[in-house]
Amino acid sequence: MISYLIGFMGYMAMLMLQLSVFSQWKILAGSADLLLLFVIAWCLHDRSKYLWLLVLVFAGITTFISALPFYVPLAVYFGVYLLSRQIHARIWQTPLLGMLVVTFIASLGQSAFTLAAIFVQRVDINLADALNRITLPSLLLNMLLAIPVHALVRELAYYAFPKGVEA
Amino acid sequence: MISKLLTPKNLRNLIIILVVVGVLFLSLSGYLTPLFSFSISPFISAQSWLAQRYLAFSDFFNSPRDMATLRAENAALNERVAMLQSEIVALQENLAQSDILYTLLDFARSNPEHEYLAATVIGREISPYLQYIIIDKGSNDGLRHGMPVVTQQGLVGRIDALISDAARIQLITDANSVVNVKLQSAQVEGLLRGSVTGEISLDMVPVGTKVEIGDVLMTSGLGGTYPPNIFVGQILTMQSKENVLFQTGSVQPVVDFSSLSAVLVITNFDTVDISPLIP
Repeated sequence: MISYLIGFMGYMAMLMLQLSVFSQWKILAGSADLLLLFVIAWCLHDRSKYLWLLVLVFAGITTFISALPFYVPLAVYFGVYLLSRQIHARIWQTPLLGMLVVTFIASLGQSAFTLAAIFVQRVDINLADALNRITLPSLLLNMLLAIPVHALVRELAYYAFPKGVEA
Repeated sequence: MISKLLTPKNLRNLIIILVVVGVLFLSLSGYLTPLFSFSISPFISAQSWLAQRYLAFSDFFNSPRDMATLRAENAALNERVAMLQSEIVALQENLAQSDILYTLLDFARSNPEHEYLAATVIGREISPYLQYIIIDKGSNDGLRHGMPVVTQQGLVGRIDALISDAARIQLITDANSVVNVKLQSAQVEGLLRGSVTGEISLDMVPVGTKVEIGDVLMTSGLGGTYPPNIFVGQILTMQSKENVLFQTGSVQPVVDFSSLSAVLVITNFDTVDISPLIP
Protein backbone atom coordinates (compact mmCIF):
# COMPACT_ATOMS: atom_id res chain seq x y z
CA MET A 1 0.00 0.00 0.00
CA ILE A 2 2.83 2.35 0.90
CA SER A 3 4.36 1.77 -2.53
CA TYR A 4 1.19 3.06 -4.22
CA LEU A 5 1.20 6.12 -1.99
CA ILE A 6 4.85 6.86 -2.74
CA GLY A 7 4.24 6.34 -6.44
CA PHE A 8 1.25 8.67 -6.35
CA MET A 9 3.10 11.37 -4.41
CA GLY A 10 6.08 11.07 -6.73
CA TYR A 11 3.84 11.45 -9.74
CA MET A 12 2.16 14.54 -8.27
CA ALA A 13 5.55 16.10 -7.56
CA MET A 14 6.60 15.41 -11.16
CA LEU A 15 3.32 16.88 -12.38
CA MET A 16 3.95 20.15 -10.57
CA LEU A 17 7.52 20.29 -11.89
CA GLN A 18 6.31 19.57 -15.41
CA LEU A 19 3.58 22.22 -15.38
CA SER A 20 5.68 24.97 -13.87
CA VAL A 21 9.23 24.30 -15.09
CA PHE A 22 9.82 21.63 -17.69
CA SER A 23 7.02 22.70 -20.04
CA GLN A 24 8.89 25.97 -20.47
CA TRP A 25 12.29 24.43 -21.11
CA LYS A 26 12.20 24.06 -24.84
CA ILE A 27 14.49 23.08 -27.65
CA LEU A 28 12.89 24.60 -30.74
CA ALA A 29 9.24 23.76 -29.96
CA GLY A 30 9.86 20.48 -28.15
CA SER A 31 9.89 19.93 -24.42
CA ALA A 32 10.56 17.05 -22.08
CA ASP A 33 7.74 14.93 -20.65
CA LEU A 34 8.70 14.29 -17.05
CA LEU A 35 5.44 12.46 -16.35
CA LEU A 36 6.07 9.90 -19.07
CA LEU A 37 9.61 9.39 -17.77
CA PHE A 38 8.31 8.88 -14.25
CA VAL A 39 5.73 6.35 -15.42
CA ILE A 40 8.42 4.46 -17.36
CA ALA A 41 10.85 4.44 -14.44
CA TRP A 42 8.14 3.42 -11.98
CA CYS A 43 6.92 0.59 -14.21
CA LEU A 44 10.49 -0.67 -14.51
CA HIS A 45 10.89 -0.72 -10.73
CA ASP A 46 7.45 -1.74 -9.51
CA ARG A 47 6.68 -5.47 -9.80
CA SER A 48 3.46 -5.36 -7.80
CA LYS A 49 0.36 -7.16 -9.01
CA TYR A 50 -1.84 -4.09 -9.21
CA LEU A 51 0.60 -1.76 -10.93
CA TRP A 52 -1.88 -1.40 -13.78
CA LEU A 53 -4.24 0.31 -11.34
CA LEU A 54 -1.61 2.90 -10.51
CA VAL A 55 -0.93 3.37 -14.22
CA LEU A 56 -4.65 3.94 -14.70
CA VAL A 57 -4.60 6.62 -11.99
CA PHE A 58 -1.57 8.27 -13.61
CA ALA A 59 -3.34 8.33 -16.97
CA GLY A 60 -6.48 9.74 -15.33
CA ILE A 61 -4.56 12.58 -13.71
CA THR A 62 -2.78 13.45 -16.96
CA THR A 63 -6.09 13.40 -18.83
CA PHE A 64 -7.61 15.71 -16.23
CA ILE A 65 -4.79 18.26 -16.40
CA SER A 66 -3.84 18.10 -20.06
CA ALA A 67 -5.86 19.05 -23.10
CA LEU A 68 -4.88 15.78 -24.75
CA PRO A 69 -7.77 13.44 -25.59
CA PHE A 70 -8.25 10.88 -22.81
CA TYR A 71 -7.23 7.95 -24.96
CA VAL A 72 -3.74 9.27 -25.67
CA PRO A 73 -2.32 9.11 -22.12
CA LEU A 74 -4.30 5.96 -21.47
CA ALA A 75 -2.92 4.15 -24.52
CA VAL A 76 0.63 5.45 -24.04
CA TYR A 77 0.85 4.68 -20.32
CA PHE A 78 -0.55 1.19 -20.73
CA GLY A 79 1.78 0.68 -23.64
CA VAL A 80 4.63 1.69 -21.34
CA TYR A 81 3.32 -0.71 -18.70
CA LEU A 82 3.30 -3.65 -21.08
CA LEU A 83 6.59 -2.72 -22.74
CA SER A 84 8.36 -2.28 -19.41
CA ARG A 85 7.29 -5.79 -18.38
CA GLN A 86 8.71 -7.19 -21.58
CA ILE A 87 11.90 -5.15 -21.38
CA HIS A 88 12.39 -6.08 -17.75
CA ALA A 89 12.10 -9.74 -18.59
CA ARG A 90 14.68 -9.47 -21.37
CA ILE A 91 17.30 -6.96 -20.28
CA TRP A 92 16.91 -6.98 -16.53
CA GLN A 93 20.69 -6.92 -16.01
CA THR A 94 20.97 -3.36 -17.33
CA PRO A 95 18.05 -1.34 -15.98
CA LEU A 96 19.35 1.94 -17.34
CA LEU A 97 19.47 0.49 -20.83
CA GLY A 98 15.90 -0.69 -20.33
CA MET A 99 14.91 2.82 -19.27
CA LEU A 100 16.50 4.35 -22.35
CA VAL A 101 14.92 1.80 -24.69
CA VAL A 102 11.43 2.29 -23.25
CA THR A 103 11.89 6.07 -23.22
CA PHE A 104 12.84 6.05 -26.89
CA ILE A 105 9.92 3.89 -27.94
CA ALA A 106 7.38 5.57 -25.65
CA SER A 107 8.37 9.11 -26.68
CA LEU A 108 7.96 8.28 -30.35
CA GLY A 109 4.75 6.40 -29.63
CA GLN A 110 3.31 9.28 -27.66
CA SER A 111 4.19 11.73 -30.44
CA ALA A 112 2.53 9.48 -33.01
CA PHE A 113 -0.60 9.10 -30.87
CA THR A 114 -0.81 12.85 -30.22
CA LEU A 115 -0.38 13.76 -33.87
CA ALA A 116 -2.98 11.17 -34.83
CA ALA A 117 -5.39 12.59 -32.25
CA ILE A 118 -4.87 16.12 -33.59
CA PHE A 119 -5.25 14.88 -37.15
CA VAL A 120 -8.56 13.22 -36.23
CA GLN A 121 -9.82 16.64 -35.15
CA ARG A 122 -9.45 17.83 -38.75
CA VAL A 123 -6.39 19.94 -38.12
CA ASP A 124 -3.85 20.30 -40.90
CA ILE A 125 -0.47 19.18 -39.70
CA ASN A 126 2.86 19.81 -41.34
CA LEU A 127 4.40 16.48 -40.42
CA ALA A 128 7.96 17.38 -41.39
CA ASP A 129 7.75 20.55 -39.32
CA ALA A 130 6.26 18.67 -36.37
CA LEU A 131 8.96 16.01 -36.59
CA ASN A 132 11.85 18.45 -36.86
CA ARG A 133 10.67 21.06 -34.39
CA ILE A 134 8.81 19.03 -31.76
CA THR A 135 9.25 15.27 -31.96
CA LEU A 136 13.03 15.04 -32.27
CA PRO A 137 13.86 17.81 -29.75
CA SER A 138 11.37 16.28 -27.28
CA LEU A 139 12.94 12.87 -27.82
CA LEU A 140 16.39 14.31 -27.15
CA LEU A 141 15.25 15.99 -23.94
CA ASN A 142 13.47 12.85 -22.78
CA MET A 143 16.56 10.74 -23.39
CA LEU A 144 18.69 13.23 -21.48
CA LEU A 145 16.32 13.38 -18.55
CA ALA A 146 15.72 9.63 -18.49
CA ILE A 147 18.94 9.02 -16.54
CA PRO A 148 18.29 11.41 -13.62
CA VAL A 149 14.63 10.39 -13.44
CA HIS A 150 15.65 6.74 -13.35
CA ALA A 151 18.09 7.47 -10.52
CA LEU A 152 15.45 9.42 -8.60
CA VAL A 153 12.82 6.71 -8.96
CA ARG A 154 15.37 4.11 -7.94
CA GLU A 155 15.90 6.02 -4.69
CA LEU A 156 12.15 6.29 -4.20
CA ALA A 157 11.79 2.60 -4.88
CA TYR A 158 14.09 1.79 -1.96
CA TYR A 159 11.47 3.32 0.33
CA ALA A 160 8.53 1.90 -1.59
CA PHE A 161 9.86 -1.65 -1.84
CA PRO A 162 12.14 -2.17 1.13
CA LYS A 163 12.64 -5.87 0.37
CA GLY A 164 14.68 -5.07 -2.70
CA VAL A 165 14.68 -3.22 -5.93
CA GLU A 166 14.90 -5.40 -8.96
CA ALA A 167 15.65 -2.87 -11.66
CA MET B 1 70.21 94.42 58.17
CA ILE B 2 71.73 91.83 55.81
CA SER B 3 72.85 89.72 58.72
CA LYS B 4 69.27 89.72 59.92
CA LEU B 5 68.02 88.49 56.55
CA LEU B 6 70.70 85.81 56.15
CA THR B 7 69.42 83.58 58.78
CA PRO B 8 70.23 79.87 58.29
CA LYS B 9 66.65 79.18 57.30
CA ASN B 10 66.47 81.85 54.64
CA LEU B 11 69.91 80.89 53.35
CA ARG B 12 68.77 77.30 52.92
CA ASN B 13 65.64 78.38 51.02
CA LEU B 14 67.69 80.66 48.83
CA ILE B 15 70.07 77.85 47.95
CA ILE B 16 67.22 75.51 47.17
CA ILE B 17 65.61 78.11 44.87
CA LEU B 18 68.90 78.75 43.13
CA VAL B 19 69.48 75.01 42.63
CA VAL B 20 65.96 74.47 41.25
CA VAL B 21 66.26 77.47 38.93
CA GLY B 22 69.66 76.23 37.83
CA VAL B 23 68.42 72.73 37.14
CA LEU B 24 65.44 74.13 35.20
CA PHE B 25 67.76 76.36 33.23
CA LEU B 26 70.10 73.49 32.43
CA SER B 27 67.15 71.23 31.55
CA LEU B 28 65.49 73.75 29.27
CA SER B 29 68.76 74.52 27.60
CA GLY B 30 69.32 70.78 26.88
CA TYR B 31 72.41 70.22 28.95
CA LEU B 32 70.72 67.58 31.12
CA THR B 33 69.30 65.46 28.28
CA PRO B 34 72.09 62.84 28.17
CA LEU B 35 71.82 62.49 31.90
CA PHE B 36 68.03 61.97 31.71
CA SER B 37 68.38 59.52 28.88
CA PHE B 38 70.97 57.54 30.66
CA SER B 39 68.93 57.42 33.83
CA ILE B 40 65.49 56.74 32.21
CA SER B 41 66.43 54.18 29.54
CA PRO B 42 66.62 51.23 31.93
CA PHE B 43 63.12 51.99 33.13
CA ILE B 44 61.82 52.27 29.56
CA SER B 45 63.45 49.00 28.59
CA ALA B 46 61.99 47.31 31.61
CA GLN B 47 58.58 48.80 30.90
CA SER B 48 58.69 47.66 27.27
CA TRP B 49 59.72 44.15 28.25
CA LEU B 50 56.92 43.98 30.79
CA ALA B 51 54.31 45.40 28.39
CA GLN B 52 55.28 42.96 25.65
CA ARG B 53 55.11 40.01 27.98
CA TYR B 54 51.75 41.20 29.26
CA LEU B 55 50.36 41.61 25.73
CA ALA B 56 51.60 38.16 24.78
CA PHE B 57 50.08 36.75 27.90
CA SER B 58 46.81 38.57 27.26
CA ASP B 59 46.67 37.45 23.62
CA PHE B 60 47.33 33.89 24.62
CA PHE B 61 44.26 33.81 26.82
CA ASN B 62 41.94 36.22 25.01
CA SER B 63 42.54 35.60 21.30
CA PRO B 64 40.72 32.26 20.98
CA ARG B 65 37.67 33.76 22.59
CA ASP B 66 37.81 36.79 20.30
CA MET B 67 38.17 34.57 17.23
CA ALA B 68 35.16 32.57 18.22
CA THR B 69 33.21 35.76 18.79
CA LEU B 70 34.34 37.16 15.45
CA ARG B 71 33.45 33.96 13.68
CA ALA B 72 30.01 33.98 15.25
CA GLU B 73 29.52 37.63 14.32
CA ASN B 74 30.76 36.90 10.80
CA ALA B 75 28.34 34.01 10.44
CA ALA B 76 25.48 36.16 11.76
CA LEU B 77 26.37 38.95 9.35
CA ASN B 78 26.63 36.53 6.44
CA GLU B 79 23.24 35.16 7.36
CA ARG B 80 21.88 38.68 7.50
CA VAL B 81 23.38 39.51 4.10
CA ALA B 82 21.86 36.35 2.60
CA MET B 83 18.49 37.21 4.11
CA LEU B 84 18.65 40.75 2.77
CA GLN B 85 19.66 39.48 -0.66
CA SER B 86 16.73 37.09 -0.71
CA GLU B 87 14.48 39.95 0.36
CA ILE B 88 15.85 42.04 -2.50
CA VAL B 89 15.12 39.23 -4.97
CA ALA B 90 11.60 38.82 -3.55
CA LEU B 91 11.00 42.56 -3.74
CA GLN B 92 12.29 42.70 -7.30
CA GLU B 93 9.92 39.87 -8.22
CA ASN B 94 7.07 41.72 -6.52
CA LEU B 95 8.04 44.85 -8.39
CA ALA B 96 8.03 43.01 -11.71
CA GLN B 97 4.65 41.48 -10.86
CA SER B 98 3.33 44.89 -9.83
CA ASP B 99 4.53 46.39 -13.11
CA ILE B 100 2.63 43.71 -15.02
CA LEU B 101 -0.50 44.26 -12.94
CA TYR B 102 -0.25 48.04 -13.32
CA THR B 103 0.04 47.61 -17.07
CA LEU B 104 -2.97 45.32 -17.08
CA LEU B 105 -4.83 47.84 -14.95
CA ASP B 106 -3.98 50.60 -17.42
CA PHE B 107 -5.27 48.40 -20.24
CA ALA B 108 -8.49 47.72 -18.32
CA ARG B 109 -8.97 51.42 -17.68
CA SER B 110 -8.35 52.30 -21.31
CA ASN B 111 -10.89 49.67 -22.44
CA PRO B 112 -13.79 50.31 -20.07
CA GLU B 113 -16.35 48.56 -22.27
CA HIS B 114 -15.32 45.22 -20.78
CA GLU B 115 -15.10 43.87 -17.27
CA TYR B 116 -11.85 42.14 -16.47
CA LEU B 117 -10.56 39.67 -13.95
CA ALA B 118 -6.80 39.45 -13.51
CA ALA B 119 -5.28 35.98 -13.15
CA THR B 120 -1.80 34.58 -12.76
CA VAL B 121 -0.41 31.91 -15.05
CA ILE B 122 0.46 28.89 -12.89
CA GLY B 123 1.20 26.22 -15.48
CA ARG B 124 1.62 25.23 -19.07
CA GLU B 125 0.39 22.33 -21.14
CA ILE B 126 2.22 19.03 -20.72
CA SER B 127 2.25 18.11 -24.40
CA PRO B 128 4.48 20.26 -26.64
CA TYR B 129 2.01 19.72 -29.50
CA LEU B 130 -0.72 21.68 -27.74
CA GLN B 131 -0.67 25.33 -26.68
CA TYR B 132 -2.51 25.84 -23.42
CA ILE B 133 -1.85 27.62 -20.14
CA ILE B 134 -3.39 27.19 -16.70
CA ILE B 135 -4.46 30.19 -14.58
CA ASP B 136 -5.25 30.47 -10.89
CA LYS B 137 -8.89 31.60 -11.25
CA GLY B 138 -11.86 29.31 -11.84
CA SER B 139 -15.59 28.99 -11.60
CA ASN B 140 -15.55 30.23 -7.99
CA ASP B 141 -14.31 33.56 -9.34
CA GLY B 142 -17.13 33.79 -11.87
CA LEU B 143 -15.28 32.42 -14.88
CA ARG B 144 -17.16 30.45 -17.50
CA HIS B 145 -16.26 28.30 -20.46
CA GLY B 146 -15.36 30.27 -23.59
CA MET B 147 -14.56 33.59 -21.93
CA PRO B 148 -11.90 35.53 -23.91
CA VAL B 149 -8.51 36.11 -22.35
CA VAL B 150 -6.28 39.09 -23.17
CA THR B 151 -3.22 40.95 -21.96
CA GLN B 152 -2.33 44.60 -22.30
CA GLN B 153 -0.71 43.66 -25.63
CA GLY B 154 -3.55 41.78 -27.23
CA LEU B 155 -5.51 38.57 -27.58
CA VAL B 156 -4.31 35.48 -25.71
CA GLY B 157 -7.07 32.91 -26.17
CA ARG B 158 -10.18 31.65 -24.44
CA ILE B 159 -11.15 29.46 -21.54
CA ASP B 160 -11.26 25.85 -22.63
CA ALA B 161 -11.92 24.06 -19.34
CA LEU B 162 -12.21 25.08 -15.74
CA ILE B 163 -12.60 23.81 -12.19
CA SER B 164 -13.44 25.72 -9.04
CA ASP B 165 -10.06 27.42 -8.58
CA ALA B 166 -8.24 27.05 -11.89
CA ALA B 167 -8.89 27.26 -15.60
CA ARG B 168 -7.21 26.03 -18.76
CA ILE B 169 -6.80 28.58 -21.54
CA GLN B 170 -6.52 27.59 -25.18
CA LEU B 171 -4.02 29.98 -26.77
CA ILE B 172 -4.62 31.36 -30.23
CA THR B 173 -1.43 29.54 -31.26
CA ASP B 174 -2.99 26.13 -30.59
CA ALA B 175 -3.59 23.90 -33.61
CA ASN B 176 -7.31 23.76 -32.87
CA SER B 177 -7.70 27.52 -32.50
CA VAL B 178 -9.42 29.58 -35.17
CA VAL B 179 -9.93 33.33 -34.74
CA ASN B 180 -11.93 35.57 -37.05
CA VAL B 181 -9.77 38.60 -37.76
CA LYS B 182 -9.79 41.67 -39.93
CA LEU B 183 -6.96 43.57 -41.52
CA GLN B 184 -6.99 47.05 -40.06
CA SER B 185 -5.64 48.70 -43.22
CA ALA B 186 -7.73 46.92 -45.83
CA GLN B 187 -10.81 46.22 -43.72
CA VAL B 188 -10.80 42.68 -45.06
CA GLU B 189 -11.62 39.69 -42.94
CA GLY B 190 -9.77 36.41 -42.65
CA LEU B 191 -9.12 33.45 -40.42
CA LEU B 192 -6.22 33.11 -38.05
CA ARG B 193 -5.16 29.52 -37.43
CA GLY B 194 -2.71 28.09 -34.95
CA SER B 195 -0.43 25.14 -35.49
CA VAL B 196 1.22 22.32 -33.57
CA THR B 197 4.48 24.25 -33.51
CA GLY B 198 2.84 27.33 -31.99
CA GLU B 199 3.00 29.54 -35.06
CA ILE B 200 -0.06 31.34 -36.38
CA SER B 201 -1.06 31.95 -39.96
CA LEU B 202 -3.62 34.02 -41.78
CA ASP B 203 -5.97 32.31 -44.17
CA MET B 204 -9.07 33.02 -46.26
CA VAL B 205 -7.94 36.46 -47.42
CA PRO B 206 -9.39 37.01 -50.92
CA VAL B 207 -6.92 37.13 -53.79
CA GLY B 208 -6.54 40.68 -54.99
CA THR B 209 -6.63 42.18 -51.55
CA LYS B 210 -3.57 44.34 -51.07
CA VAL B 211 -1.87 43.22 -47.91
CA GLU B 212 1.31 44.89 -46.71
CA ILE B 213 3.96 43.41 -44.46
CA GLY B 214 3.39 44.79 -40.96
CA ASP B 215 -0.36 45.28 -41.38
CA VAL B 216 -2.16 44.98 -38.08
CA LEU B 217 -4.70 42.23 -37.43
CA MET B 218 -7.58 42.66 -35.01
CA THR B 219 -10.45 40.44 -33.99
CA SER B 220 -13.51 40.98 -36.15
CA GLY B 221 -16.09 39.68 -33.70
CA LEU B 222 -17.54 37.29 -36.24
CA GLY B 223 -18.50 33.90 -34.90
CA GLY B 224 -19.23 35.29 -31.47
CA THR B 225 -16.12 33.74 -29.92
CA TYR B 226 -14.13 36.91 -29.30
CA PRO B 227 -15.13 40.55 -28.91
CA PRO B 228 -14.16 42.80 -31.85
CA ASN B 229 -11.18 45.14 -32.10
CA ILE B 230 -8.65 43.31 -29.97
CA PHE B 231 -5.09 43.34 -31.31
CA VAL B 232 -3.88 39.96 -32.48
CA GLY B 233 -0.72 40.38 -34.51
CA GLN B 234 1.06 41.73 -37.54
CA ILE B 235 1.57 40.28 -41.00
CA LEU B 236 5.04 38.81 -41.49
CA THR B 237 4.76 37.32 -44.96
CA MET B 238 2.03 36.75 -47.52
CA GLN B 239 1.74 34.10 -50.21
CA SER B 240 -0.55 34.15 -53.18
CA LYS B 241 -0.51 31.13 -55.46
CA GLU B 242 -2.01 30.89 -58.88
CA ASN B 243 -5.45 29.38 -59.35
CA VAL B 244 -6.39 29.70 -55.70
CA LEU B 245 -9.14 31.82 -54.23
CA PHE B 246 -7.43 32.94 -51.08
CA GLN B 247 -4.10 34.27 -49.92
CA THR B 248 -2.29 32.91 -46.91
CA GLY B 249 0.37 34.43 -44.73
CA SER B 250 2.32 34.08 -41.53
CA VAL B 251 1.56 36.31 -38.58
CA GLN B 252 3.67 37.58 -35.70
CA PRO B 253 1.48 37.61 -32.58
CA VAL B 254 1.62 40.76 -30.45
CA VAL B 255 1.61 38.70 -27.27
CA ASP B 256 4.82 36.98 -26.20
CA PHE B 257 3.33 33.64 -25.22
CA SER B 258 6.61 32.27 -23.89
CA SER B 259 6.74 34.83 -21.08
CA LEU B 260 3.10 35.10 -20.10
CA SER B 261 2.80 35.57 -16.34
CA ALA B 262 -0.51 37.37 -15.87
CA VAL B 263 -3.62 37.72 -18.01
CA LEU B 264 -7.03 39.40 -17.98
CA VAL B 265 -10.22 37.43 -18.48
CA ILE B 266 -13.08 39.37 -20.06
CA THR B 267 -15.97 38.38 -17.84
CA ASN B 268 -18.86 40.29 -19.42
CA PHE B 269 -18.61 38.85 -22.92
CA ASP B 270 -21.19 36.22 -23.77
CA THR B 271 -19.85 33.80 -26.31
CA VAL B 272 -22.16 32.43 -28.94
CA ASP B 273 -22.01 28.71 -29.60
CA ILE B 274 -22.57 28.28 -33.31
CA SER B 275 -21.40 24.67 -33.45
CA PRO B 276 -24.99 23.34 -33.89
CA LEU B 277 -25.23 25.45 -37.05
CA ILE B 278 -22.07 24.01 -38.56
CA PRO B 279 -22.89 21.03 -40.80
